[in-house]
Amino acid sequence: MNTTKQRTRSVLILAALSLFGTVLADLAFTQTASAQDVAVSGPLAGQPPVRNLRLYRRHRLSISPFAGFTLQEPYRRSLFLGAHADFHVTDWLGFGVWGAYAGVGFDTALTDAIVQQGVVTGRNRLSLPSRAGFRNQLGVINGAVAAQVTLVPLRGKVALFQRVFLDTDLYLFGGAGVVFVDERANASDATCAAAADTNGCYLASQSARSTRTILAPTFGVGFNAYFTEWMGLSVEWRALPFSWNRTGTDESGDPAGNFPDGRVDSHDRFFQLNHMFTFGLTFYLPGHTHTSD
Amino acid sequence: MMKSWSWLWIACSVALCALPTGRAVAQMEFSLDETDTPPAEETPPTEETPPPPTGSGDIFNDIVSDVASDQQDETLDTGEARDEQVEEVFAIQRVYALRRHRLELSPSYAINLNDPYQGHTGVGLGLNYWFTNVLAIGANAIWYDLGGSSAEESNTSFFTRRSTRLGIPLNEWQAGAWLNFTYVPIYGKFAAFNRFIFEWDTYIVGGVGMMRTRPIPVFDPSVRNFDWGTRVSFNAGLGIRVFLSRWLAINVEFRDYIFLERYENTRIPVDVSERANPGNWLANGSSVTHNASISVGFTVFIPPSFTYHQPK
Repeated sequence: MNTTKQRTRSVLILAALSLFGTVLADLAFTQTASAQDVAVSGPLAGQPPVRNLRLYRRHRLSISPFAGFTLQEPYRRSLFLGAHADFHVTDWLGFGVWGAYAGVGFDTALTDAIVQQGVVTGRNRLSLPSRAGFRNQLGVINGAVAAQVTLVPLRGKVALFQRVFLDTDLYLFGGAGVVFVDERANASDATCAAAADTNGCYLASQSARSTRTILAPTFGVGFNAYFTEWMGLSVEWRALPFSWNRTGTDESGDPAGNFPDGRVDSHDRFFQLNHMFTFGLTFYLPGHTHTSD
Repeated sequence: MMKSWSWLWIACSVALCALPTGRAVAQMEFSLDETDTPPAEETPPTEETPPPPTGSGDIFNDIVSDVASDQQDETLDTGEARDEQVEEVFAIQRVYALRRHRLELSPSYAINLNDPYQGHTGVGLGLNYWFTNVLAIGANAIWYDLGGSSAEESNTSFFTRRSTRLGIPLNEWQAGAWLNFTYVPIYGKFAAFNRFIFEWDTYIVGGVGMMRTRPIPVFDPSVRNFDWGTRVSFNAGLGIRVFLSRWLAINVEFRDYIFLERYENTRIPVDVSERANPGNWLANGSSVTHNASISVGFTVFIPPSFTYHQPK
């Protein structure tokens, strides 16, 4: 935990120093920076930055089916299939819903290594009743739905290979939703010690599941490229931070600090960022855009 | 006679009306002399009809100008002279920052993304020479050995080891250096809040080089001790460069450094002499390892200024 804090602190310090250095350098080298009013008096004086801007989002509904995958999951990567619908009251503000099914996934090399080489002892028997059954105790995200606000602060265009020109925008979003999670059910050494078949109790607890619905915030950033007035490609990074027990293991100690506490329960859940990349096609209704002055 | 004078007056009036005003001349010629000298008849915009904001493409200058104008309201009221910034208009807008025949220096901070067992951070420096506006050759280096915190064991590694008794070979990295080609296939511009316009580009980078790494003794730390070794490495990546001015940019880059890593042998010989033999400390063969990193840094173009060459 401390290492994460130290790393975060280092990044923040570096970012602050970088920003300070940038401002200082630019102020030092820029000759036109002065404490005087600057009025544009050329032929562009009084003109808006952009004329005849295509308003791709204003008063339009966007529907975006997408596919994605989670990042930095050490045990099981989830694939997300879903859709995202927004209504945009202005060209820079929209409200919408997002939903995805995530029941499909695949194990990582670490999970395969545990299945092949994990060691069961008396001390970790609750955390790993059998190495072959480790996959059965992993936490799984089954799906999520969220309501969110979308802000579009950046609007522009790009040239690809100096031949293809596309309108683009970059958007931020944030909201709240629920995540449907499947985890290992609560288990304890005491319960299995009292059972007639202790070994069978541990093995049964490894694949016993409980489903939870978790309230979680969501936020992220996306990039949209418009192929036509009614269709575009979107690439999105999304975070769904919440606490869960990804491994189904006993990780926390008792109140006295002794590890393990002999129980797999809510105290073994840790806060995770749970982030993903998604790629989608976005369709806009109605099919034609308006333009600004 | 009166009729001919009337016709003369009418002709003169039409001619006078047809003559361009001073402002119209300034708008039509677009010459550098004209733009360097503000028109004498220019009147500042009235307070009732303030001009809409206009970005110049230089974010800092725009921001500084805005702040300065806010702070100088009182100066305006007292009627002091104002600086005027004359914009030129071109039939085809020029690329904001040319790269050709310029040197690019880019210090950065890199964080590994894909190693669940350890955190790897490093400071890097890149040097590119742009021999066309879209193609560069260069080199970059990253120093990872920043002290005790540069290769920390992650929570995932610790919990996995504790819960499943699975030892995970860990390696630390000292440094890496690569020779690269960079290509810019995409460039564009964004209007932020329909106000500040800034330029950005996307580049593809790839190259070959080496990594200096060594295993951290995990399985037999009382006996084993490893020296730094050089591993062949390749890299490929994608980056975005956002121009703050024509010589300064912020860049964010994702790059995968692929190298042939040597890990610690997970088996320990029973025989004492075999156990002490360094030849048995490393696992057989090399493993293809990915160091997928994201880096954030600056780009400084040297020389800071350049000249547009316009066709006659």
